[in-house]
Amino acid sequence: MKFESHTMYYIHIVLLRIKGADFMAYMIITGLICGALLGFVMQRGRFCLTGGFRDMYLAKNNRMFYALLVAIAVQSVGVFLLIDMGVFEYSAGTLPIVAVIVGSFIFGIGIILAGGCATGTWYRAGEGLIGSWIALAGYMLMSTIMKSGVLAPINQQIQGSSVLPTNSIADTFGINHWFIIIPFVAIVAFILFKQLTKPKVAIPALKAKRTGLAHILFEKRWNPFVTAALIGVIALIAWPLSAATGRVFGLGITTPSANILQYLTTGDSTFINWGVFLVLGIFAGSFIAAKGSKEFRFRMPDVKTGINSFVGGNLMGIGASLAGGCSIGNGLVMTAAMTWQGWIGLIFMILGTWTASYFVYVRPRQKAKAAKLKEQVAAV
Amino acid sequence: MQKRLEVLGMVCPFPLIEAQQAIEELNSGDELVVDFDCTQGTESIPRWAAEAGHTVTNFEQTDEAAWTITIQKK
Repeated sequence: MKFESHTMYYIHIVLLRIKGADFMAYMIITGLICGALLGFVMQRGRFCLTGGFRDMYLAKNNRMFYALLVAIAVQSVGVFLLIDMGVFEYSAGTLPIVAVIVGSFIFGIGIILAGGCATGTWYRAGEGLIGSWIALAGYMLMSTIMKSGVLAPINQQIQGSSVLPTNSIADTFGINHWFIIIPFVAIVAFILFKQLTKPKVAIPALKAKRTGLAHILFEKRWNPFVTAALIGVIALIAWPLSAATGRVFGLGITTPSANILQYLTTGDSTFINWGVFLVLGIFAGSFIAAKGSKEFRFRMPDVKTGINSFVGGNLMGIGASLAGGCSIGNGLVMTAAMTWQGWIGLIFMILGTWTASYFVYVRPRQKAKAAKLKEQVAAV
Repeated sequence: MQKRLEVLGMVCPFPLIEAQQAIEELNSGDELVVDFDCTQGTESIPRWAAEAGHTVTNFEQTDEAAWTITIQKK
């Protein structure tokens, strides 16, 4: 394959050129830019997977889940085209099935308590929500404890038990990956068509105070499917940018978040990688978006929300470390890579959010209603 | 009649849940004013109001990351 070898040669040359100080500069710039774009788009597009999963159950509303599927489809097509062109090689490896199921379920519970998934927490921290800072602290701390701290042996033991040999869905069936991707894209296109042709309800909007680009960037309500397609594109460009630094993966939140704390506490610069700048970029990008649209303000939560955020952040750290990914790593990227880990992880993450939603939102409301009814009966 | 619901400081989806609860106790034609500062509420609250068939009579940003919305019950 002449074309493949040419592309690999080109990548090799690029890598040789960006050694040393230049390499660091490349990593900082591309990581920060990619993260900032993601943070900006997520903040302005109100892209909240936690809210999306929760509303599938609470409001019987699947819009955000469909938007996620759009982002997965865009990224999947792009990533496999790049792999087929030989831009980078990717092997999905093995599947630690028990760790993925248990971890994703715990992660799902955690994000409901924390009020946002891993990226959601990063971008809400950029909006000035102190509750998200608390969740982030718990999340970083527990991920570090699970990856290189006292819980690392237990984490490895669970991940090492019941490992299935193939993670790639296409490899399991012994078929080419496009036999999985093309039907998936067709299904997503069909859902999207159904959604877009549905009779629309006019949603009241804020009065426009700006015009032109400023209105579109900092004021207008973004269509969730446009937002999702943009996120798919950003998730796609993350692959070659990150692969050029030796980290062959797309967007990832948990490991880089832990890496920050590992670097800060050990001073070991090997913990610094492309992903670290990506997550810092998300924070910066969402801050710019929030500030530009007058949506930034430091907001202190009440005690109950603060405690929930901390507990949720810790559960997120445990869950994502066990499952080998969060709502982005598994839910957006490993799904696009068409792996069992991604899709099984996504399903159990959603089940986790539904379970927690019942206890956090549904049951207290039922109880309050029952108590009120009792009061009324007693009054009669 | 107009009822005011102060949910400043509450994170999503609680402002929406509180609003849904509060409007149940109102009569048709009554108004519910919701003051909130959860960014995601700028999407979820008007969307819910419109889809539930209520009328939004006022919706504006009052300060940095602070909004008010008035919903008239159908």
